[in-house]
Amino acid sequence: MTLQAYLTIAALLFCIGLFGVITRRNTIGILLGIELMLNAVNINLVAFARYLADVSGMVFTVFTICITVAEVALGLALVILIFRIRRTAVADHLDLLRG
Amino acid sequence: MSLESIAFWGLAVVLLAGALAVVLTRNLFHSVLYLALVLTATAGLFLSLDAEFLAAIQLLLYAGGVVTIAVFAIVVTERLVGDRITQTSRQIFTGFVISGALLVALLVVFRRAPLTISRPAVTGDLTRAIGQSLLTTYVLPFELLGVLFLAALLGALYFARPDD
Amino acid sequence: MAASGIFALWAWLAPALAFLLLSLIVPLRRSGRPAAWLSIVLAGGALVSAVAAWYATVPGMARRMLWEWIPVEDGVLTSVGILADTDATRMLILVALVSFLVQVYSLGYLADEPPPSLGRYYTYQSLFAFSMMGLVLAPNFVQLFICWELVGLCSYLLIGYWYPRPEAARAAVKAFWVTKAGDVAFLVGIVMLWSRTGTFDFSELFEMAKGGSDILAGLGLVTFCIYLGAAGKSAQFPFHVWLPDAMEGPTPVSALIHAATMVTAGVYLLFRTSFLFEQTPEVLAAVGWIGAFTALLAATLACVQTDIKRVLAYSTVSQLGYMMAAIGAGFSSVGFLHLLTHGVFKALLFLAAGAVIHAVGTNDIFAMGGLARRMPQTFVVFLIGTLSLAGIPFFAGFVSKEEILGATWVGGLTVPFAMLVLAALLTAFYMFRVVFITFLGRPALAGAPGDHGAAAGHGDGHAHDAPAIMSLPLWILAALAMVIGVGFAVWHPEAEFEAPHWLTPLAVGAALAGVVLAWLVYGLRVISADWVFARFSVIGEAALERFWLDDLFALIYRRGILGFSRIVGWVDRYIVDGVVNVLSAWTLIAGDRLRRIQSGQAQDYVYGIALGVLLLMVWMRWPR
Repeated sequence: MTLQAYLTIAALLFCIGLFGVITRRNTIGILLGIELMLNAVNINLVAFARYLADVSGMVFTVFTICITVAEVALGLALVILIFRIRRTAVADHLDLLRG
Repeated sequence: MSLESIAFWGLAVVLLAGALAVVLTRNLFHSVLYLALVLTATAGLFLSLDAEFLAAIQLLLYAGGVVTIAVFAIVVTERLVGDRITQTSRQIFTGFVISGALLVALLVVFRRAPLTISRPAVTGDLTRAIGQSLLTTYVLPFELLGVLFLAALLGALYFARPDD
Repeated sequence: MAASGIFALWAWLAPALAFLLLSLIVPLRRSGRPAAWLSIVLAGGALVSAVAAWYATVPGMARRMLWEWIPVEDGVLTSVGILADTDATRMLILVALVSFLVQVYSLGYLADEPPPSLGRYYTYQSLFAFSMMGLVLAPNFVQLFICWELVGLCSYLLIGYWYPRPEAARAAVKAFWVTKAGDVAFLVGIVMLWSRTGTFDFSELFEMAKGGSDILAGLGLVTFCIYLGAAGKSAQFPFHVWLPDAMEGPTPVSALIHAATMVTAGVYLLFRTSFLFEQTPEVLAAVGWIGAFTALLAATLACVQTDIKRVLAYSTVSQLGYMMAAIGAGFSSVGFLHLLTHGVFKALLFLAAGAVIHAVGTNDIFAMGGLARRMPQTFVVFLIGTLSLAGIPFFAGFVSKEEILGATWVGGLTVPFAMLVLAALLTAFYMFRVVFITFLGRPALAGAPGDHGAAAGHGDGHAHDAPAIMSLPLWILAALAMVIGVGFAVWHPEAEFEAPHWLTPLAVGAALAGVVLAWLVYGLRVISADWVFARFSVIGEAALERFWLDDLFALIYRRGILGFSRIVGWVDRYIVDGVVNVLSAWTLIAGDRLRRIQSGQAQDYVYGIALGVLLLMVWMRWPR
């Protein structure tokens, strides 16, 4: 498979994830979209690492996976806390930063 | 059509279909399950790229850990809210336009870039190479990751404390 | 010869010293009489110096002393200093003499003023003397213009000396405005001349003119602009409207500034720069015509005035017209001679009128009468002045006035000549009208309506001759007038031209006709004044309205200038400010609209980020 094929798949996945982030109303849904985007990045990194014979891409992937895990854990914890206070899961209602 | 390409395209289809399902399903719980499918397909892609270690990590942490946490979160919030959370989407058209535009831009970049076509041969054990690299060249980020986990742990503990 | 320069310089700087001391040392000024004596003493010193300067001046030679003032690259732009020749020193004597006498006289006339006001008066008087002498001695246009403006300022300050009176304040402003219009034209003319010739200096310009240089060709516009400045200051038609109103100032001020010196500055200017005007005969012709017309117009207006000072004011306008007519005919020295003689007897007339006003308490001639018995000295000096003004032989004005008539005839200005002859008749008429009404005849009844000015003076019943401090200057001037009159009659000065033999009888005849007419109407009361008025009713009515000139100017001011100001104000408020206001409103609206980007929805921000990334990618890869 050509490198371009992998990159194309990753790009598609990334854009689908972006679409999800923009359109989902539920906060957890947004987080799922973010997951997809990060996944796409990982595929990209590994594909480049393999085709350019450089192992650093894979090392970076390890890093991103770890960081993503931490971020998701805390993100979901935040979502739960917000639910406790605001009694809503819908992102549209969380607009305290409105100018 | 070699086995590799069949495997690759099959995985790709599953991946993308799952991703679409994640973003378009109304039921949030189903979304999470589809996410699990996507993550597994990604692990398969890693395997096709001879990155076994990463495939293993992907399955363990992502498909195992992240999905579990997400399920828990949904269950808890569903409990809080009281009924099944349904998804309705907003601003589909603009989101579609933006994502589509970004996709087009990326594809254009890929088409024009001079990229190698064939894979180089696998030299040595990739897992060993990753390990060595982690502990020599990238030892500092590695240690910082430890600090990051510590911080995340503390944060989680803080969030989880009972209200006084 | 060097001495004349030094003396002239001393004469110029003495009043400057008085002004500096009085303006800077406030307690001295506020003390009143000591300030007055300081000013008077220094004015006397200036007079002595001026006489010495004249005596030391050799005819035909000029003493020039310059101090460089404004440096520019390769040279100096202009200097200050003096240019003392025979004519300048003569004028200097006139200025110093009248200034000194007026200051002495004022001490008596303004004896009732509070000391600070008196000090202020003498400060202004010293400033005026300094400015006027600076004008007379100016070696170039710049210093002349500066002193020109300074005398205008002093005129404003002194007309408005009793500034709590609204009429006085208005009159001062009016004088300033009208002369300022002329001054602007004057300045334009000076600058145009400089741009053509590269110099302001009189001596250098004189050399250019004598050498027949091409630079000075086609100067019509320049000389006309300079003439406009003189017309404003010397009250030529239609700029004469400020002079009658200037009578709101104290009478000594009127004698000094509006008879002998400041108003003659315009005539002096044309006389000094006659070598320029000779290059533009068409402008000179205009000068002559306007001068003669002014003389006749003012004489007509003087016939219907009831205020004694206004009569004298219009008379001054008329005589200034005579001087200008002589210059216009091309014989500027004749005009200058009349300037000198007129200065003496007009100052005399004003000061005598001041004595009358001081005694009677009113300016209205119909509230006076029969004062000859009660104020004999004043009557005598006033009569001397009147005879001089009317142009009766053996009195001061006769020779100079006759020479002007001759000059206009010989210079080819025939219609102006006729106007001047008629004006001579009217001059004699209106002056003797005043004499008959004021000094002869029956006194106006005490308690008559015009008598409420008695509070200011002594009232008609107590009219008496002025105290010595006022009558001494009167006698000095009267004596001087007689000396000039008799002197000219005996040693007839060299005339530049050959006058026709019928000129003298014509001139004398016109004057005598005027006297007789006045005697018939106002002395013997044979002909009724109303009948005469009815005969010339159209002119008479117009004269009473001052030919609607004041109304015309007021209209121009109100409609023109104020209207223009209103338009400018509108533009400022709605267009200039409007642009700024629109911009600020747009800023506010834009801010309000842009605010909506901050929706508080995190997804919108993601959307923004994605858009940004997209744009960056496009920009980076475009065009490859």
